[in-house]
Amino acid sequence: MKTFLLGFVAAFVLIPAGVLGYCRLGLAGTGSDANPSAWETLVMQSAVRASVRRSAKGIQFRTPGNVDDAMVEGARLYLNGCAGCHGTPGKPSEDLSSYPRVPQLPQVGTRYSEPEIHWIVQHGIRNTAMSAYGPFYSDKEMWALATFLKRIDNLPPGMMDSIQTKSAVGSSKN
Amino acid sequence: MKRFVIGLLTGGLVLALCVLGYLRLGLADVAVDAPTPAWATRWMFSSVHASIRRTTPRDLKSPLPASDENLIAGGKLYLNDCVGCHGAPGKPPSTFGATFNPPAPQLARDGTTYSEAEIYWVAKHGIRRTGMSAQGPYYSDQKLWLLAGFISRITTLPPEVRAGIEEKTGH
Repeated sequence: MKTFLLGFVAAFVLIPAGVLGYCRLGLAGTGSDANPSAWETLVMQSAVRASVRRSAKGIQFRTPGNVDDAMVEGARLYLNGCAGCHGTPGKPSEDLSSYPRVPQLPQVGTRYSEPEIHWIVQHGIRNTAMSAYGPFYSDKEMWALATFLKRIDNLPPGMMDSIQTKSAVGSSKN
Repeated sequence: MKRFVIGLLTGGLVLALCVLGYLRLGLADVAVDAPTPAWATRWMFSSVHASIRRTTPRDLKSPLPASDENLIAGGKLYLNDCVGCHGAPGKPPSTFGATFNPPAPQLARDGTTYSEAEIYWVAKHGIRRTGMSAQGPYYSDQKLWLLAGFISRITTLPPEVRAGIEEKTGH
């Protein structure tokens, strides 16, 4: 029994020391152009999902006054601030340079709820390329984005056409 | 000895389950703006440093001379694509770069301890689990070397080079 306990305790010392040593020797890969392993993706995605669920629990979805208006505003914000990494609706793309890979939202959509999307936009996700946008967007803008993102893989037909022309007009005015 | 090994394996299993459980319960805060423990930052930085030192080929050297012309060309690339996160020479640090975790290093203000070859390597391949994506798919080797030459001297640029960069980028 005593030898068993000794081994048990030794595991709690040896494993962290091993991990630390492995990293210190530079054996952990750094290039973000490699593909994340399946187990890392699985563990990390579920950790992020659980953490976001927990953090966003108390947030109430503030229904925008008019969903159609919120969709249009959200779509415009998305095209200006998010599409560069997350992809433009109707244009297939693939992220090859960030690790973990950036989800291509127009294709894969999202399983997060509106309050969870709002939380992610505001606070970002650490150890990924997703930065926090709280300092740059108003609360109303983040709800508009959340409203749009929730439906991004299932948009009403023709919606993006009208947005793209509108935002083109908007940007030529600037 | 046999019992020790069984204890070791059991301990390892329990440790792994604790870590997985912690993650599965959502107890690891993923917010960029939540405080990061100092040990975690130090651990990550030293791992990245050691890994880059190890993976950058020893005999890798810039094929380009560090002429003013090349530095200006590198500076222009930097002002186009890197300043957004890493800060512009002579300007306040980037607020956007600070919204990542780990935050983007403010190269224009702080410089870098990486060598020219290592900077080339980082720009080309990126750094995992940070906002630094691999630029290899988008930049030619020539451009990456121009950038590396510029960044490795970013805090000690000759005045002519600084003037040259700023002159020509103002559209």
